[in-house]
Amino acid sequence: MAQMWITMGPQHPMTHGLWTLRVKVDGETIVDTEPELGYIHRGVEKICEARDFTQITPYCDRLCYVSAMTWAHSYIYAAENLLEAEVPERAEYIRLIAVELQRIASHLMWLGAYSPDIGNLTIFTWCLRDRELFIDLMQELGGARMHYNFPRVGGVKRDIPVGFAQRCRAKIALFLSRLPEYEMMLDESTIFLVRTQGVGLASAEDMVNSGVTGPNLRAAGVNYDVRWAHPYSVYDELDWTPSVEKPSSVKGADCYDRYRVRMEEMITACNMVLEALDKLPGGAETHYSPDDEMILAKAPTRAPEGARGFHHFEDCRGESMFYLEGGGEGRGKNPYRVSIRSPMFITIPFVAKTMIGYKIADIPAIMGSFDPCIGETDR
Amino acid sequence: MGMMVSAEVNLAATETAANAISDRFSSVGISASAQAHAAGHKRSYVAIECPPAHWLALAKWLRFDNGVNHCSMITGVHHPDGGDDKGWEVIVHLMRMPVSDQKPGKALVHVANKLSGDDVPLEYQVIITLPQTDAPVVPSVQSLWVGADWNEKETWDLVGINFEGHELMMRVLNPHDSPVGFHPLQKQHHLRYHNHNEMYDDAQGFMRLPVDSDRVK
Amino acid sequence: MGEAGKNYAVFNSRSLVEMVGDVTDEALKATRLKDFIGVLGGRFFNWAQRKSLFPLHLGIKCCAIEMGQTGGPRYDTERFGNGVFRSSPRQCDVLLVNGPISKKFADPLVRLWEQMPEPKWCIAMGECSISGGPYFQSYNILEGVDTLVPVDVYIPGCPPRPEALIDGFGKLREKIIRIGAEPSSERETDAPIIVGDD
Repeated sequence: MAQMWITMGPQHPMTHGLWTLRVKVDGETIVDTEPELGYIHRGVEKICEARDFTQITPYCDRLCYVSAMTWAHSYIYAAENLLEAEVPERAEYIRLIAVELQRIASHLMWLGAYSPDIGNLTIFTWCLRDRELFIDLMQELGGARMHYNFPRVGGVKRDIPVGFAQRCRAKIALFLSRLPEYEMMLDESTIFLVRTQGVGLASAEDMVNSGVTGPNLRAAGVNYDVRWAHPYSVYDELDWTPSVEKPSSVKGADCYDRYRVRMEEMITACNMVLEALDKLPGGAETHYSPDDEMILAKAPTRAPEGARGFHHFEDCRGESMFYLEGGGEGRGKNPYRVSIRSPMFITIPFVAKTMIGYKIADIPAIMGSFDPCIGETDR
Repeated sequence: MGMMVSAEVNLAATETAANAISDRFSSVGISASAQAHAAGHKRSYVAIECPPAHWLALAKWLRFDNGVNHCSMITGVHHPDGGDDKGWEVIVHLMRMPVSDQKPGKALVHVANKLSGDDVPLEYQVIITLPQTDAPVVPSVQSLWVGADWNEKETWDLVGINFEGHELMMRVLNPHDSPVGFHPLQKQHHLRYHNHNEMYDDAQGFMRLPVDSDRVK
Repeated sequence: MGEAGKNYAVFNSRSLVEMVGDVTDEALKATRLKDFIGVLGGRFFNWAQRKSLFPLHLGIKCCAIEMGQTGGPRYDTERFGNGVFRSSPRQCDVLLVNGPISKKFADPLVRLWEQMPEPKWCIAMGECSISGGPYFQSYNILEGVDTLVPVDVYIPGCPPRPEALIDGFGKLREKIIRIGAEPSSERETDAPIIVGDD
């Protein structure tokens, strides 16, 4: 049978973003793949060279729009490394709460987009419903539904509002009581199991060599997490363990393992938020004004030439990193270079390679299980 | 409490790695030291400066003898005003992760406070400085880390640094029909409205017209 | 005096259908029933078209996530008639542009627009598609989708709240009442509707 190239995208219901995947098929078996990115390349790295350090935070929100908080914080930690800024402990706890809430919301969006690909549309509506809970919580923190512009160099924008802790605990309790329904829906569904088990096998060493980290790597049986390997924020003061799944095959983890890792991560993140609210310095019921030193410490706004700062951060999709160089325009008010490491940019070629050998019908399962987000890929 | 690699273990491992690199390579001009991040937990990382001619040898040694198995990012910076010696910089971030293939049904659960020796995670930053030139070239490490592949493509696409030995170099973010030699992150390319100081000249925004204001659609 | 090759002497089904059609047409015109049916049908079709908009399943950037949340259970947009997203542009009538348009995507977007059959409308959602948004200085982003396709409704916001998106569709429905099924190439685009203007 003749082989032919099929183009999927850029507008495609299943690619979860604007990118093209060309697959070469022999009948129904995939023989070769060729991803093409760059359809929303915005030149953020160049634009950020003309912005102040505080003005860059909204751009980082918009990098991966599904997990805006984590990207803003990823940038802020690198900016603090560059500018040598200290952060008060309460602010670090609030940042942790924001990041972990965002992790839950991002995984819910992933699940809500992944299950329809496998055929389960109910989970889509359930996930969007539950994601609203967390969007409301983050809206209380940041002011908007999706792009919060929450962290500042040296702290956060403002303290947690009055009553936030109570609402947060209630919503997390509600969500945790609903998670077994999701698992029942998917784990007891033969279609879901058949479509995700044994599909998309990727081994740990291949992934690490290819630059794939995060939940995708933890699905292959190694509990590596940047949060304990190169600690930042106050993760060491909370009692948590990264979720890891045992791989199902000698060739590595399949899509089902990656799904299970993310479900476990949601529970871990919920528990982290609850624990952080209990341990918040100054108490979760007191409310400090935004310019209080518990919330925001005075930080330098200029970085001299020759200064460098970088930070590895555990984003929802892997290890993200910002590298900043000081000494730009405005006598150091703007960075000279902002370089963004997007985990998905490196993962997508790996996913395209992983697909070879499977059938066309496995493409949504494999592609979705790695959780692509094209916003951060194209920068 | 929660687990983390302790600062002492991190510093010790970083210094061990940096000393190993210095012992082996200092004669060719590669300097390695353990530097600390400036904020947060102030952890250490291995900061290496390497001339471009020896980058491939260093990379191979790190990859195969030091277990540096993850290439995080390769990026480039253009310094038109950096003097004769510093025209371009290629900055490579690597990590050593304690990861190995697992048998089905088994998982490697690290306990962070008990890691030691070669299992301690490390961060590396390699700075390769190139002189002022119109055609910067650096050896490619595509064959060592698969993660370096698209990083190098992106660096060439955006910054214009050529990677010698890189197969299938292509534009990954800019459109394929971008002009040859157009690498937007070079400093001679300016953003749109670069000189338009809106706050002072045009506070109400009347003068900033979109590019298609005279087009009939 | 007939056309070359046409044989009027033959009475087959085709000429029967033509004759019946001509006679009925003249009868309807004489009793002004044709105008009556035309007005009624036009109004009915206009009502049907605007109450059942089929947006294209196109998600460019962040506003697409808000578009998705708008279709979620809380801000259910399907109850207003604008919820059935179709993946093929051949089956759609609304192009909801929800992100910045890069140079690479300009050609696919115009192709999608041209593949959509008339009547079709375009909504520019979010700052990036209105004017380039925060990326207006970028070397790769066009300053607004109206450089490529004629836009009917602009919804400002970054991203617009789901309520704003629902209102945008409402404004589009009001516009459809006004302009009917006028072909998109002949609509005046210097008086667009901007959500939030009133």
